[in-house]
Amino acid sequence: MKAGRLAAGLALFVVGLAAAAPAQELSVSFGAGGFFPSEGAYREIYGSSLSFAGDLWLKLKGPIGFAAGFGRTADKGVAEPMDGGTETYAVEFRRTSIPLVVFYQFEAGPVAIRLGAGAGIHSYRETWQTVDLDFRGHKTSPRIVLAVSAAVLKRVSLFCSGSFESIRTGESSFPDASINLGGFQMLGGLSFRVF
Amino acid sequence: MRHSGSVLPVILVCGLVIAAGLPVASSETSGSAATTRSVARGRDGSLALIRIAKTPALRVQVLTRLQIDVRQELTTCLLAYADRNDIDLLRRNGVRFTVLDRDAARREFLVVGIAAPGALASLRAAGHAAAVEPSTAVFWTEEGSALEAVPAGLPRKAFPSRSVLPYVRMRPEPAPAPSVSVAQDPLVETIVSLVSSSNLAADVQMLQDFQTRYASTTNCEAAGEALFAAFSALGLDNVRFEQFTFSGSYTSRNVVAEKRGETYPGDVFIVCSHYDSTSPSRLTLAPGADDNASGTAAVLEAARVLAPYPLDYTVRFIAFSAEEWGLWGSRAYASLARLGGQPILGVINLDMIGYADAMPEDLQIIVNGNSTWLADLFLAAGAHYGVVGATKTVDQSFVYSDHSPFWDNGYPALLAIEDNPLTNPYYHRTTDTLDTLNIDFLTSATRASVGLLAELAQPIKAGYPRTPVGLYADLFVYRSLFNSLHTVRLHWTAQADATSYNIYRTNTPHLGYVKINPTPVTGTAFSDTNAGSDPTFSYAVTAVGPAGLESNRSRDAEWMTARLFRPATGPTSIGASSSVPSFGFPVLRGIR
Repeated sequence: MKAGRLAAGLALFVVGLAAAAPAQELSVSFGAGGFFPSEGAYREIYGSSLSFAGDLWLKLKGPIGFAAGFGRTADKGVAEPMDGGTETYAVEFRRTSIPLVVFYQFEAGPVAIRLGAGAGIHSYRETWQTVDLDFRGHKTSPRIVLAVSAAVLKRVSLFCSGSFESIRTGESSFPDASINLGGFQMLGGLSFRVF
Repeated sequence: MRHSGSVLPVILVCGLVIAAGLPVASSETSGSAATTRSVARGRDGSLALIRIAKTPALRVQVLTRLQIDVRQELTTCLLAYADRNDIDLLRRNGVRFTVLDRDAARREFLVVGIAAPGALASLRAAGHAAAVEPSTAVFWTEEGSALEAVPAGLPRKAFPSRSVLPYVRMRPEPAPAPSVSVAQDPLVETIVSLVSSSNLAADVQMLQDFQTRYASTTNCEAAGEALFAAFSALGLDNVRFEQFTFSGSYTSRNVVAEKRGETYPGDVFIVCSHYDSTSPSRLTLAPGADDNASGTAAVLEAARVLAPYPLDYTVRFIAFSAEEWGLWGSRAYASLARLGGQPILGVINLDMIGYADAMPEDLQIIVNGNSTWLADLFLAAGAHYGVVGATKTVDQSFVYSDHSPFWDNGYPALLAIEDNPLTNPYYHRTTDTLDTLNIDFLTSATRASVGLLAELAQPIKAGYPRTPVGLYADLFVYRSLFNSLHTVRLHWTAQADATSYNIYRTNTPHLGYVKINPTPVTGTAFSDTNAGSDPTFSYAVTAVGPAGLESNRSRDAEWMTARLFRPATGPTSIGASSSVPSFGFPVLRGIR
């Protein structure tokens, strides 16, 4: 509920700003790529993950803009055996994120570079495939992003982005530990300018 | 136009948001370190007897680390020897205690029951007495033997010869047991049906006929020889006297016999009683029919009816002596058993089970917190085999019979007694004779005891597969980011006459086993991934033969994992709602 209220608050904030400021450009980007977790336990169990994301980029008059989106990271792994266990238990992790950032845009001819900072609202779930174990959580985290787009058609651009988040959950199956679900995400795809 | 275009992203953003829906670790000294200290260490005159209150803040680990010489555990306190250094350490560690006597090195202390009206006053008239609980006092005298000074009729117990600290458990009252039932085994029913009222009456009469069985008399010695002969006549194994010294210069003998188990000969269940007696004329007349020819007759009858049947476990039949002097016979026995590392799995002590002040009479089953499972099984056996009501009482302070030294040495033990407090008007009198007993009640109590004993020792049935042996378990932990799963891997030795096996699990040791394998297990290993939230769980295996007959349960493999669990802090779940434990310490491995 806390995360939901925060998301609603941020959304209203964006809505308010967007409504108050004249929009100059709106584009939509879609990308796929990799997620490289900073948490060692995450890497051991799941390795790097495949990520998908879609974002709305709303640039106002001047170089400032707002972005919001939807991201999903999912991967399958194997539970880590302690003390010599030899059985295999498949586990699956999924994270859904809503990034909300304010960005500054540089333009150099057909290339636009966006440098942004904001928050990510995350909902995550870890499931054991053959055992009735399940974990769900929510977390909001800081996020920084660098996105580059290069126009190839009138309304279409090649698009790539890199983002970093630190998502400290405060939860762990390991003693005295807090799993950080954050890491570095690299995406590539296309961007479409709406207006 | 451009301005109006900003409405679209606003709607999209809102849609996205909605869619997301979004222990005081201590260097614990080993128990043996505590037991190596003795009263002699403080014979410089500084030794005190202290009462340590069992407050919620008290940690046994602290007492162990300080090597406090605890000699008696009661319900609300511990009684311990302490020199000046100990007292300083206890104070510095915030342990609450009171000094009962500052000259403990040269004293003989007794724990005495003072529930009877006027008991404390009579005790103080005979020597020094300090009430340490509402119904319990410590008694000592300036000179001479406290045992000889303690007023007749008051239950008493001498301190154990070693520290009991390794077996003190400051745990809260045990959780209510699950619904317990006995197997209702036809073979056990047959054995129980062999219990004979006339045999019981004859054995009580036989013991009563020694006139007195006061432990220091030759009559008691003769009674012991009669018991030895009776056990021998039954063809029991290893019938023997075990001699001990008591109260300085006296000697007496416990009479021990056993029916050796065929599957687990090293694991022992004990049924015991004391055969000595007392009265105001104890040197000449102490018939002790109820106290405790009744219990001893029951032990003899149990030996008689069980002797012909092969059993999985060893059953030891013991008649203790010098109980009336302060539990000396059982004290010597239990202490030696612990020193020898004997695996005694449970003790049934029968003391005064023949007098009924009103019918129907209930048996009182008294246990400590470590033995509640025995009482629960007794109640179930009593209801089914003995047709006798029984009431369980968890009372660490009821230390006035031969079960208590077993408690002191960490063994599970119960006391079966007709009333608590006693109502027998002939108790410890020359009038405690057979004609005052209710033989029907004695028979029912004996049948309940035999039923429990047979359930525990497991008669081997002809034509059934043999009981599996060699059961052990490994615990493996598997972790994901937010959940951990502990898998218990069971292994056992193959039985030649088994076609498959069944696996049973309980989270209440020794009680309430439930089969957990949905289909027959044909191999000799099984992994249980569902022990999840149980803090303690035990397993047993049975063998199933070609005709579908199922063997007795194997000895259990038990995991005590409560201290390994660390509750998860997040909204983790097993199934619908229960929280998932996660391991915070290295995993224990290897089971008996």
